[in-house]
Amino acid sequence: MNLLEVQNLTKIYRRGSEEIHALKGVSLTARAGEFISIVGPSGSGKTALMNLIGSLDTPDGGTILIDGKEISGLPERERVSLRRHTIGFVFQQFFLIPTMTARENIMLPLIFSRQKIDEAWIEQILAMVGLTERAGHKPHELSGGEMQRVAIGRALVNRPEIILADEPTGNLDSATAEQIYVIFEELTRQGITLIVVTHNPDLARRSHRIVTICDGIIHDESSTGTDDS
Amino acid sequence: MNLFTLAFRNLRRRKVRTLLTIAGVAIAVSVLFSLLAFNAGYEQELTKEVDNLGIHLLAVPKGCPYEAASMIIHGGVIPKYLNESDLSSIRNIPGVAIATPILMHQFLLNGTPHIVYGIESSDMLKLRPYWHAEGRFFSDTEKNVMVIGRGLAEKENLKVGQILNFGPKKEPFEIVGILDRTGGQEDEFHLVSLSETQRVFGKEHKVNAVAVFLDDITQISDHSDEIEKIPEVQVVTMTQVTGTIMNLVGSARILLFSLIAVAVVISACGISNTLLMSVYERTRELGMFKAIGASSTDIGIMILTETIVITTLGGIAGVGGALVGAGLIEQFIRGAIPYAPAGSLIAFDPEVALICIGFSVILGVICGLYPAYRSSRLSPIEAIRSEAV
Repeated sequence: MNLLEVQNLTKIYRRGSEEIHALKGVSLTARAGEFISIVGPSGSGKTALMNLIGSLDTPDGGTILIDGKEISGLPERERVSLRRHTIGFVFQQFFLIPTMTARENIMLPLIFSRQKIDEAWIEQILAMVGLTERAGHKPHELSGGEMQRVAIGRALVNRPEIILADEPTGNLDSATAEQIYVIFEELTRQGITLIVVTHNPDLARRSHRIVTICDGIIHDESSTGTDDS
Repeated sequence: MNLFTLAFRNLRRRKVRTLLTIAGVAIAVSVLFSLLAFNAGYEQELTKEVDNLGIHLLAVPKGCPYEAASMIIHGGVIPKYLNESDLSSIRNIPGVAIATPILMHQFLLNGTPHIVYGIESSDMLKLRPYWHAEGRFFSDTEKNVMVIGRGLAEKENLKVGQILNFGPKKEPFEIVGILDRTGGQEDEFHLVSLSETQRVFGKEHKVNAVAVFLDDITQISDHSDEIEKIPEVQVVTMTQVTGTIMNLVGSARILLFSLIAVAVVISACGISNTLLMSVYERTRELGMFKAIGASSTDIGIMILTETIVITTLGGIAGVGGALVGAGLIEQFIRGAIPYAPAGSLIAFDPEVALICIGFSVILGVICGLYPAYRSSRLSPIEAIRSEAV
């Protein structure tokens, strides 16, 4: 059964009298544990699609179902709840809080979801992203790769079913990006669905499926053959 | 960790700006607290000083009665006199329990001005039963003796039994007593019998004022009218003295209140500006907060908490600063108002301190509402995409 079902999604942005059709009927499905790369030129609608799936924005048409539940028409309170419990975000620019340690940055979403801190789970996340030894360091003491791993840890802390990553390796060199790919692969093995917007062909090749968007339309969809499930 | 610790952490990120904003609030609260404390302290001290006189009214020579009364309270020389016959007339008015004359004169001793307070101690001690002295008081007819105030004794290092060369002819006067500290102007006076003061300074049969204590205070108006029938005599009641002085300082208080209003408005603009800048600078971060599960309310609470922390700390620092700098503030106020009682003008009242801190918290809520609203309305996508860092 599909965890995520996007059907005929449209999104129009208005800039003054000008209308920009960011998505023109996009349909996409994802199973639990699937790793999907979304590629395409700048302005093709990749980020718009991610924002709609992540309930950061509302579509002008079409439906988005997560676990069979339509989310596009949900009131703000339920969308907040979805972002707290079902979806994790990873951004290109980390967005870590400079006064907080790596561990505290990872725990940040728990403040908003009012969840008790499960120290064992935090340790498990730190181990998963390879930061056990660096947990007490603040962002300015960490490398770019370490900061992105903290951001991945932060996306994981609420045990989401889906992680949406927008250009997660965009600011990293290839060796550091490799560490991120390894973590992503491990996450999919644990059943987390990963949807990654990327310009990085190496990362795209490591995913199970590559979806190419052009001018707001899915232009191509191909399996990479890495999915052994 | 919770929203509040998150707000605290954020304030620590921009320490200098936060400290400057806190200082702005502290200055406004400090001025407010000082004025409120002054307001209470001034009235309290003035009333105490007037009550300490132990009299209901003063009969003074015609002229400006309030100036005369103020001189009598504060200490000074009035260049106008009543005659002893006026004193007898006042004493003969039915209902006057005690009428005791006062003659004040200023003289130089070792180059510094001193004030002699010529009184009839028998009556004066009835009016001021709280007067106690180390040593003894003089009788009304005793010659070449004096009692001095405690402040004067300490300043000049004078002791009971010491001889002082007194008056223009440097006559030897023995200090027979040192008045226990009263907190009034008499702490700095030389107290000498009226007859001796008149003799030494050549003011025979002259007095500056007659202090009157009535049998029945409710009849004060009738008795005042009776006394004013005596030619060249004016009456000023102690209530009038207090009221007049309070009116005199009223304009100074209005000026100080205006200063506070300006300080508060400047402070409020500063807080709002700081928070709006902080919201602007953190637009992307706030967008990220929303993406990872923060609701609009969470963001609003966080920003509002930051304001309340700033204004609460500012309020506490302001009250603390006002207490520490009370001496300087009092000195400034004394210079700005026409009459100040001798006691402390700044009365510390914990209730006033709490009101001031409460006021700064309310100020914080008001100043933080708009930045909190703006930040809570941020669209997460637009915030993340924004150019602000």
